[in-house]
Amino acid sequence: MKILFGILIFLIAWQIFAAILNVPLILPSPYLTFKSLYNLALQQETYQAIFSTVWKSLLVLLMVIAIGTPVGFLMGISESVYQIFRPAITVVQAVPVISWLALVIFVWGIGWKGPVVISFLSLLPISIFTTAAGVRSTDKSLIEMARVYKVPQVKIIRTIYLGSLVPFVFSTVEVIIGDVWKVIVVSEYLCGSDGIGVLISWARQYVDVPRIYALTIIAVTLGIASERLVKIAFKKVLEKWQMQS
Amino acid sequence: MADAILRVENLKKNFGNLSVIDGWNLEIERDERIAMIGPSGCGKTTFLKIIADLEKDFHGRIEKNFERIGFVFQEPRLIPWINVMENLTFVFPDKDKIDFFLKAMRLEGFEDYLPSQLSGGMKQRVNLVRALIADPQLLILDEPFSSLDMPVKFAIIEDINKLRDQRKFAIITVTHDVKEAILLSDRILILSKRPSKIIQDIKIDLQQKERDISDTKFIQAESELMKRIFFLSR
Ligand SMILES: Nc1ncnc2c1ncn2[C@@H]1O[C@H](COP(=O)(O)OP(=O)(O)O)[C@@H](O)[C@H]1O
Ligand SMILES: [Mg+2]
Repeated sequence: MKILFGILIFLIAWQIFAAILNVPLILPSPYLTFKSLYNLALQQETYQAIFSTVWKSLLVLLMVIAIGTPVGFLMGISESVYQIFRPAITVVQAVPVISWLALVIFVWGIGWKGPVVISFLSLLPISIFTTAAGVRSTDKSLIEMARVYKVPQVKIIRTIYLGSLVPFVFSTVEVIIGDVWKVIVVSEYLCGSDGIGVLISWARQYVDVPRIYALTIIAVTLGIASERLVKIAFKKVLEKWQMQS
Repeated sequence: MADAILRVENLKKNFGNLSVIDGWNLEIERDERIAMIGPSGCGKTTFLKIIADLEKDFHGRIEKNFERIGFVFQEPRLIPWINVMENLTFVFPDKDKIDFFLKAMRLEGFEDYLPSQLSGGMKQRVNLVRALIADPQLLILDEPFSSLDMPVKFAIIEDINKLRDQRKFAIITVTHDVKEAILLSDRILILSKRPSKIIQDIKIDLQQKERDISDTKFIQAESELMKRIFFLSR
């Protein structure tokens, strides 16, 4: 209930602001925006765009976890691997999206690969560092316990290290899922052939500001909904891990 | 002593400039129970780690005549995301042994519980079972009861003593509690503060049936011991 009330307040404030400002090019009224949203809902290309953005986002998420987790894991258990990889990853993390863009357009031109690769590269470092931090924070007293009983190293890695990694993989997904939409949409805008970002770029060309706002609402909704979904899905599993022994 | 399970000669240990253990000598017989009482920071845990091969940098001579050791840590150190049974098979995958000791430690029926679902006393019982399933010839107890209520503590101690009568292992207990020390030992070593020495070696001449906190002989032994510790600490 409170949330609905909050949304209502937000809409009223928006309406008042738009009326006072009276520059639809910067801030269209909620009415215009939702009319545009309604029009979007009637067009098939909207759904194609959403689908395209969703699958790219999922692909990126999968790639980031699939590469980031093992690399981060190795960096976590070995100090020398950590020192060897850290500079390269720090550099990747610091490269501005626009530089990737130049490179990616050069290699693939306009298409789906560009946005996917750019998003992958900009999210991978977070995943690696989060995972490495997780492994490094593994409870040393458990490792010591295992050593007293001469538990084989393989078993220690499988049960203790991998086990203590689980919450970090989950929290990486939680962190990334909120960001992946934004990055995908931006890179679609810059070098994509389809997706919400591309629709936004077209709307910009026609100076159709309400449409830009409407598309933004779609992107934001996707972001918030997926974040919520992941949180709810993970909560149950994570309870087991977060409890103290 | 011909049949010592552990012989320590002139053991010294320091961490950098900090001298912790300063020349300990002791021998423990094959099925003897000893307790160590000493101020905190005097090197008790360090000593136990040396015996358990967790700490390999020290001076002096240590002769170990055992193959298997059980180490009950002060904290339960259970892996939180796997259940009781999995925590036990993690160190020693022998179901029959596990079942035997689970029963002896009154944990039957709790195999599927996660550590977080157990009380403090039960977690320490799992910690104990884990130490016992490898059939240790030497059982080490590093202040394992300090966070438990009296009745829980005494119940566990009774179960340990019962098991020891059957299986004849040696026990080293580290504790702050004089009652606990008397209940669990034939001999009590008193340590000085850091750099520590063994300053007293006191035999506890009590029958098993007299090891009962309400027994007159027990109470006598306890007040005797308290007095000595009090004098030594002055
Ligand atoms: N790994 C270590 N590095 C440096 N100092 C240590 C280490 N382990 C223990 N100490 C120090 O050695 C002393 C004895 O520690 P410990 O054996 O744990 O004492 P206690 O008798 O209370 O069990 C303490 O002052 C502690 O700070
Ligand atoms: Mg200690």
